[in-house]
Amino acid sequence: MAGVIARTAATLARARPPFAASSLHTSSVRAADKLMPDPLDHATGLERKELEAIARGNDDPFMMKVLKRAAGTKDQPTLIPSFHAERLVGCVCHEDAFYINYMWLYKGEPKRCECGYWFKLTKAEDPFKFK
Amino acid sequence: MMMKSDHSFHLVDLSPWPLTGATGAFILTTGIVKWFQEMNMNLFLFGMMIMALTCIQWWRDISREGTFQGLHTSIVAKGLRWGMILFITSEVLFFFSFFWAFFHSSLAPSMEIGLMWPPKGVLPFNPFQVPLLNTIILLGSGVTVTWAHHSIMENNFSQAFLGLLLTVTLGVYFTSLQALEYWEASFTISDSAYGSTFFMATGFHGIHVIIGTTFLTVCLSRHMKSHFSSNHHFGFEAAAWYWHFVDVVWLFLYMSIYWWGG
Repeated sequence: MAGVIARTAATLARARPPFAASSLHTSSVRAADKLMPDPLDHATGLERKELEAIARGNDDPFMMKVLKRAAGTKDQPTLIPSFHAERLVGCVCHEDAFYINYMWLYKGEPKRCECGYWFKLTKAEDPFKFK
Repeated sequence: MMMKSDHSFHLVDLSPWPLTGATGAFILTTGIVKWFQEMNMNLFLFGMMIMALTCIQWWRDISREGTFQGLHTSIVAKGLRWGMILFITSEVLFFFSFFWAFFHSSLAPSMEIGLMWPPKGVLPFNPFQVPLLNTIILLGSGVTVTWAHHSIMENNFSQAFLGLLLTVTLGVYFTSLQALEYWEASFTISDSAYGSTFFMATGFHGIHVIIGTTFLTVCLSRHMKSHFSSNHHFGFEAAAWYWHFVDVVWLFLYMSIYWWGG
């Protein structure tokens, strides 16, 4: 029994000539081998929306990343996108800060953190809508 | 497409399976006690049936939520990865306790067993016969499952199927050989500390092999239904991780209980 399995495995694992290159990552594929579905084509629902947004160049469609502040002055405040009229903002005042300074930011009311940087609310674009 | 939330996390719908699982586990464990005390397996089998139905329906729901509803975004998948890693870690600790028990009894054998290990009168298995074959089988199955994984990542449906099929076959082969070994053993679980430590450690390992084989079989059938894509196939990865864990536990078992302890 062990011998049969070993011989079968050896036959199956024998090296094959590489298949023609395509946009899909294929190697050691025989002409008769079936292929897996295209990942974007296979996805559905929220997962697909995320993949489509990434494919369109937006690598943070759910706005999870920490934003790097802009100039942050009163004339050029850091713009905070929001879908609503207010958003909770957490300012990491300096790189070694051991706390985050949270404040509510309201539409039309630019605000200054105690560390001196200004924030302003802007309208966020729906990252999942095609332009 | 209508989005139910403006975040990428998955807040699951209300489900009865945690409750049926808890009830089933309660009935199962009480049934084990009844089995041991009254030699009656009815309650145990009933509990087993409830647990099996819970597992099937709960994991079927997870497949539906991930594959058919697309609710497993990248951050959800990360959470699932951490979950599997933590679960396997807890299983490592579980086996650690059985190895502790084995070394406790075997490093300083007591007077009652003859100040020797294996104890006087115990005929251990020859580690270079079936146990060595079992080792080769599990190591080979680690190779086939890795082959299957690379095939999935390289878009090769057919070779992924073959790799998975071979892995499952090797898993079944291991279980069959180990069952025959149990039947042929010259000692039982009640034969001193040797029997206790041997059968508790290898017995729980065998249960984990059966669980791992079942997991891989489910992956095989999901693969045949095209649930996996080359980028997103976490169910398969979780099964492969679990299978490698089972393989590593066997290597420890083989080296300490079969070889050193034989």
